[in-house]
Order: sequence, then structure tokens, then C-alpha cells
Amino acid sequence: MILIGELSLWVAVVMAAWTTTVSFAGGKLRRADLIASGERGLYSTFALVLLAAIGLWTALLSHDFSLEYVASNTSRNMPGVYVFAAFWGGQAGSLLFWALILSFFSTLAVLTSRGRSREMMPWVTGTLGIVILFFLLTACLGANPYTRLPFVPLDGRGLNPQLQNPGMAIHPPNLYLGYVATTIPFAFAIGALVTRRLDNEWLAAVRRWALVSWFFLTVGITLGMWWAYVELGWGGYWAWDPVENASFLPWLTGTAFLHSIMIQEKRGMLKKWNVVLVVATFLLAILGTFITRSGIISSVHAFAQSPVGNWFAGFLIVAIAATTILVMTRLRDLEAPVTLESMASREAAFLYNNLLLCGIAFSVLWGTLFPILSEWVRGTKITVGPPFFNAVNIPLGLALLALTGVGPLIAWRRASVSNLKRQFVAPAISGVAVAALLLALGMRDPYALVSYTLGGFVAATIIQEFVKGTRARRAIHGEALPIALARLVARNRRRYGGYVVHLGIVVLFAAFAGMAFKQENDVTLKPGESFTAKDPWGHQWRFVSQGVSRFEASNRDVLAIGLDTYRDGKRIGVMTSEQRQYRDSRGNPTFNPSTEVGIHGTLKEDTYVVLAGVTGDETAELRISFNPLVWWVWYGGGIMAIGGLIVMWPAAERRKPNSGYRASLAPNAELAEAR
Amino acid sequence: MSARSLSRRDALRAAAAAVAILATRGAMAQGTSGADSTASPNGPTDGSSGSNLFAMNQGAARTVQRPPKPGVKPHVSDAERDQVEKKLRCQCGCTLDVYTCRTTDFACEVSPAMHRDINELIAGGYGAQEIIDAFVGSYGEKVLMAPTKSGFNLVGWTMPFGAVLVGGGLLALLLRRWRRRGALAAAGRATSPSPGAIPGVDASADELARVEAAVRGDDR
Repeated sequence: MILIGELSLWVAVVMAAWTTTVSFAGGKLRRADLIASGERGLYSTFALVLLAAIGLWTALLSHDFSLEYVASNTSRNMPGVYVFAAFWGGQAGSLLFWALILSFFSTLAVLTSRGRSREMMPWVTGTLGIVILFFLLTACLGANPYTRLPFVPLDGRGLNPQLQNPGMAIHPPNLYLGYVATTIPFAFAIGALVTRRLDNEWLAAVRRWALVSWFFLTVGITLGMWWAYVELGWGGYWAWDPVENASFLPWLTGTAFLHSIMIQEKRGMLKKWNVVLVVATFLLAILGTFITRSGIISSVHAFAQSPVGNWFAGFLIVAIAATTILVMTRLRDLEAPVTLESMASREAAFLYNNLLLCGIAFSVLWGTLFPILSEWVRGTKITVGPPFFNAVNIPLGLALLALTGVGPLIAWRRASVSNLKRQFVAPAISGVAVAALLLALGMRDPYALVSYTLGGFVAATIIQEFVKGTRARRAIHGEALPIALARLVARNRRRYGGYVVHLGIVVLFAAFAGMAFKQENDVTLKPGESFTAKDPWGHQWRFVSQGVSRFEASNRDVLAIGLDTYRDGKRIGVMTSEQRQYRDSRGNPTFNPSTEVGIHGTLKEDTYVVLAGVTGDETAELRISFNPLVWWVWYGGGIMAIGGLIVMWPAAERRKPNSGYRASLAPNAELAEAR
Repeated sequence: MSARSLSRRDALRAAAAAVAILATRGAMAQGTSGADSTASPNGPTDGSSGSNLFAMNQGAARTVQRPPKPGVKPHVSDAERDQVEKKLRCQCGCTLDVYTCRTTDFACEVSPAMHRDINELIAGGYGAQEIIDAFVGSYGEKVLMAPTKSGFNLVGWTMPFGAVLVGGGLLALLLRRWRRRGALAAAGRATSPSPGAIPGVDASADELARVEAAVRGDDR
């Protein structure tokens, strides 16, 4: 099976090249046989990549250490789930994994679009084929998972211990799914540009894929934050590391697209802009991959200093050049009869939203790349770390939060004074009430105050929408409250799913603001000694050292500290933090020691204990932190993901009335009806 | 027929095998410096590394020493020292600040060394800004967690806001133009119904013509 997998990988390269060639030729010559051959080639490519993936999984699970990838990323005593997940734990495997998802998504996209967009589809298939070809070539020639060692070691090195975490097993595949899904809208955009069919037809095909990408990026980023928080031990979940930024960039432009697409559907505006956003989202996903895998910018993430980066740089340059030429030569086809009645209208609010989302995307990209620019211009190395990103992005983020409340409620075309009053008086009062309450309680941090005030305002707008809608249903249909609420959401999934996503954003901002009140304590404790501190909520905590212990677990040596923990005099339990040295099945150390953080989490705050070192025999050096509202980050991410699922749910497409943006206001906004 | 297909299959197989061998050789000859591919199958990566996630440079610490200030007592509190450490980046390659790294990564030898230097400077009577300046003097600007707000760095600091302002300005111009166009269209509809307009249908003659063209398929 391993040999079949290896050969399949190479045949898949040939098949992807065939798919691209005949699809483009079929599109150009309008030959149905070539177009059909291209489609079948795409399906075959998927089958071959699947075989290649099964081959690698077989090698991993059967511990075939003759393969360098298997020997470098797994060992005999590793839990089975991590052996399985090692498929995407290293450079070469993750490239094959990417090709696998991409060929699967491409097959799905082409299958579900059969019979529609006939003129465009060969170009879509060809574009998908070319991207798959690139990943397969990179996997074959840049970092091949089937590369063999000149000898067969008795055991492998094992997976990096810090990657042996459930979050890490799920987080990268989710991000890959999100990155890869950006390829489908990109391919449709290229198809639309080449065939000059730049009406709303291509948008109909890509909206769901854009949502799929957004959903997986949201889940992937949230899981990544969770992994960083529980595994790395530095006490936060977001460090503005280049690789984190790389995942955030396509999320930002993808979110902008999901908003601006509504304006094109409803008003026929922003044709050029939507093409630019779709293309930019894909290119940013590739740029992110380049940053992750080239080592061009210093990052805590692995894959550093890899030759694979050159492949991505080359692909990125070609893709930017090709799409720029395509867009520039089609500018006239993208003209749309645009009119606007008022600056205070929903379409204007969505444009402000796009401005801010793209502004944040630009500032994140700028901050990530500025060290390189500085070195070029001045020859001086500098660091652009969290103080820069926070200073720049917090004001922009807060403005975006305010728009999250305004955008969905303001009227299309022109908001009247009565509309504004009807929609915003109660939410504005709620926001002010939250501010007054927090000021009275003694909160003085300006950003946190603004954040919670806006959070109160936005949450009230969302609750108000649910209350109004449910009341209307109850009045019209006489339904019970839970049924009215459920049907309100079920029959207007796009709108109310969107509100749920916005609610998740509010919860996230509340969590981010909470970190302004984080407290860190640098503590040294001998056995029996205690440390007392007051947390940001005013609770008195006491930690009593039970001493340091050393013991062996299944595949590691452990150095652990136990802290008997009390809050306001009441015993919570024993909090432990560990240093671990992993060993292979013969007892040899694998990798370097790693930290296991002790976390006591509640809705109000996390108590976070890190064993930073041990001096002498038993004196432990610890960092004990109180991190407010961290759980709200995971809840916020979860709420956003649920909102995304509601919006994506297929049944919403079949419902006729009241589904948000079905009614067109512009002559060429036929998308809604076309669906 | 079967002999022919067999030979073709054999040829394909041979070609694929040849390509695979060549590529494998190529990949091995190329030599890899990737974090996951350089690793030897067993044992820690190398002696210099202390982290599993990035190439740690344990020798990155430089000595930052100044003679004690005569007659000046230490006046930087522990809390202020922590704030200073949060403005300085550990040089081991972790991207964390000195305080966070030294209280997180027990494998790092760089942040504890930087911490010791900071403590000695504090004991020598130096203030927070003087300590930061001393570190910049030894390590260069890269030791700061964020660029200084001077010189070329100002471009870095202002560009994001500049971009949003320019984008906002362009958007405002576009919105004004679209609004003027909208107002003209509305005025046109109100004063003189264009020829060809259908009573009761809220559409201009131009819009109706486009609908008619679309129905006839003129644009195909």
C-alpha cells in the first residue's frame, strides 16, 4: 500500500497537469469532450491523492521507519491518535494533506456546479487543477513525505510533545480546510474574469464556499488560540506572531467579502471590489503559507528555513501577476450602475465595515512585513510585537464593533430619523447603562470601558431583533415562545445566523477587554511555603507548595509541583504544573523538555500556574497569573461557529420569504432570484 | 490487445518509478534545513536548541553592564522592573518579552541572563528608561518589543492609520459621487418620466431597456 501511495502521488501530478491542460483547452476551443475529460481528470486526481494519503497513513500506523517522515514525526510509544495526526504534523505530510483537501473540495465544487455556469466551468476546473498541481509538485519535489532513509531506525523520534495535544490534532486541519476553501471562490472568480461573465452568477456559486472557508478559519483560529494558551505556557492566547497573523489575514478579507457580497446581491454594486476581495483572500492564504513555511520572518512556529518557501514565493508572484492582468483587462466589464441615496444607509454602513476590515488586514500585514522593510531601508533589524499591533488595531477593532451594531439595523437606501430612533434608542441606553455601571464599580481602563459600552450596545441590538421577530411570529402565528424563536431562526437563517455570529464577536471583545486586568506574579516557593494574592475580582487566593515531585509516566519523565489552593479561605484543590521530558521506547530522550500549565478555569477568570524552574532541590520558581474572562474567548469562538453553521445550513436556500436578502433592489441583482 | 496494454502499463510503471527515484535522490541531495526534516530520527535536535517549536539560540545574550551610579540608591520597584522586562524582547528566538520568557521557558538561558543584567542595572541606580537605552545600545533596536516612534519607524506606526484615512477619503468621494448620481436619477424620475417608462413600474427607461435586452438575449 505504501508503494502504491508513493506511485499514486506521482501519477496524481501527471493527472493534475492533464486536468489543467485539457480544461483550459476545452474552455478555449469550446470542446465538450475536452471539458468532460478535464472534469474526470479532476476526480481521478482526487482518487490518486487519496491513495497517496492512505499510503502515508499506512506507513505511519505501521511504524515504517524507513520513511524519513515517519521516523521524524512518530515513535512506537506515541498514542495512536497522534500517530494518525502526525500526517499533518510535519512539512511534507501537511503539503500532501493540503493537496488531499483541495482535490476533495475541488471535486465537490465541480460536481455541485455541473450543468450550471457551463461556459465558466472549464476555466474553474483548470484553475483548481493548476493549484492542485502546484501543491502536488511541492509535495513531490520540495518536501516529499515518501523520502526514504538510507537506514531503518529501530524507533522514530516521535511527534513534538507540544503538538501532542487534542487542540493541535484538530487546529491545523481546520486551518487547512479554511485556507483551502478560499481556492474555490478564487477559481470561480478566475473563470468569471476569463469568460467575462461578471454578473452575479459566479457569486451564487462562491458564497457558500466563502462561508465554508470562513467557518473553518474561525474554528481553526479559535482552536489555535486554545492550544497556545493551554500548551505554551506564556499565559495568553494571541501574540501577533507572524503565523497567527497569516491565518487572521484571509479571515479578515473573507469576512469583508461576506458582507460586501450582500450589497452586490441587493444593489448590484461593488462588482470590482468583490472580485478583488475573493482574489485577495486566496492570495493572503498562500502568503500566510509562505510566511509559515519559508522562515522569512521569525516566528515560534515550526517549518522554519525550508526550501518549500521558495516554491510558495514563486507561486505567489505568478498568481499575483496573472490575477492583476486579468482584473485590469476586465475593468470595463466590472462597471456597474451605482447610485446611493444616503450616507446613513445599510449599504454605506457595509462599506464602512469593509473599510475597517481591510484597514485591519492592511495594518496586520504591514506590521508583519515592516521588519523586512525596515531592514531593507535602514539596514536595522527591528521587532514589531504586540504593543504595535494592539496600539493600531484596538481603535480600529472598536470602531468595527460599533458598526456590528449599526450595520444590520439601519435601513437600506436611506435611514430616516424615525428608523434610527426606533432601532437604536434602546440599545444606546443599554450601552450607556453598562458604561455607568462599570464606572460606578471603579473600572477606569479607557479601552475596556469603550469595549464593554459598545458590547452592551451591540448585544442589545441583537436581542432587540430576536425579541421583535419572535413577537411578530407569536402575534401572526400564535406560536409558543420557543417555537416562535426556533422558527424565526430556521426561516431566516442567513439573517439570524449572522446575528449569532455578531453575538460571538461581542463575547470575544468582552474577553479581550478582560485581559486588560490580567495580573501576573513571579513567585518562588519552598515546600510548605505559601503565596497570597488578590485577584482582579477582589478574591483572596492562597497557594501552599506541597513540594516538587519526580516520576515516570508512560512515555515521559515528569517534574511536577503541587499547590494546595484556597480562594477566600475555601479549598479549591491541588493545582499542578509540570515539566516533561519525553522518551522513546528505548528510554532515550526525544525533543527538549516542555511545560504543562496548571489551569483552574471559571467563567470569571483562569488561575494559571507555570512551573518556570526548580532551584536547589525543592525550590520552585513559578508564575501565577489571574487571567480574567478567558473562557469567554472559547465561548465567543463557539458562538461564532454556531452562527456560521446556521447561515450555511442548506435548507435556508429553499425557503422563499424573509430570508434576508432575497429581494433585489437593482436590475442586475438577479442572484437572489436565480438561486 | 492485452499484450499492447500490458506493455503500455509496464512503460508507465517504469517511467513513474524512474521519476520517483530521480526525485527522491534530488530531494535527498538538495539537503533540507526544515525544522521537521533536519531532525535526526532519535534524540533531541541538537545541543544548541532548547525549544521544540523554534531554533533557539542559547548564545544570544550579550552583557549589558554599566558602572554603578555613585550615590544613587536603587529606585526601580519590582513591578516597574517587570514592566521594563515586558518592553524588551528575549533574544533566544521565542518572540516573547523577557519577563514572559523567563517565567515560562525553563529551557531558555537568554532571558534569565537579560533579567540578571536588568537587576544589576537597577542595583546600580539606573532608571527604567536608562535600562532600556542600555539594552538598545548593546543589542540594537530589535531588542524593543515595538519600534521607537521616531525616524523611519514613524512610517511603520502611521501607515495603518494613513491607509484607513486614505481609504476613508476615497470611499467618501465615491459615496458622494454615487449619492449625486442617485439624487439626479431620483429628480429625473420625479420631474419627467422618461419616454418609454411604464406607469406603475418604478424603473427608468434605461433599466427597462436593459431588462428587455436581457429577455431577448441581446447580451449573449
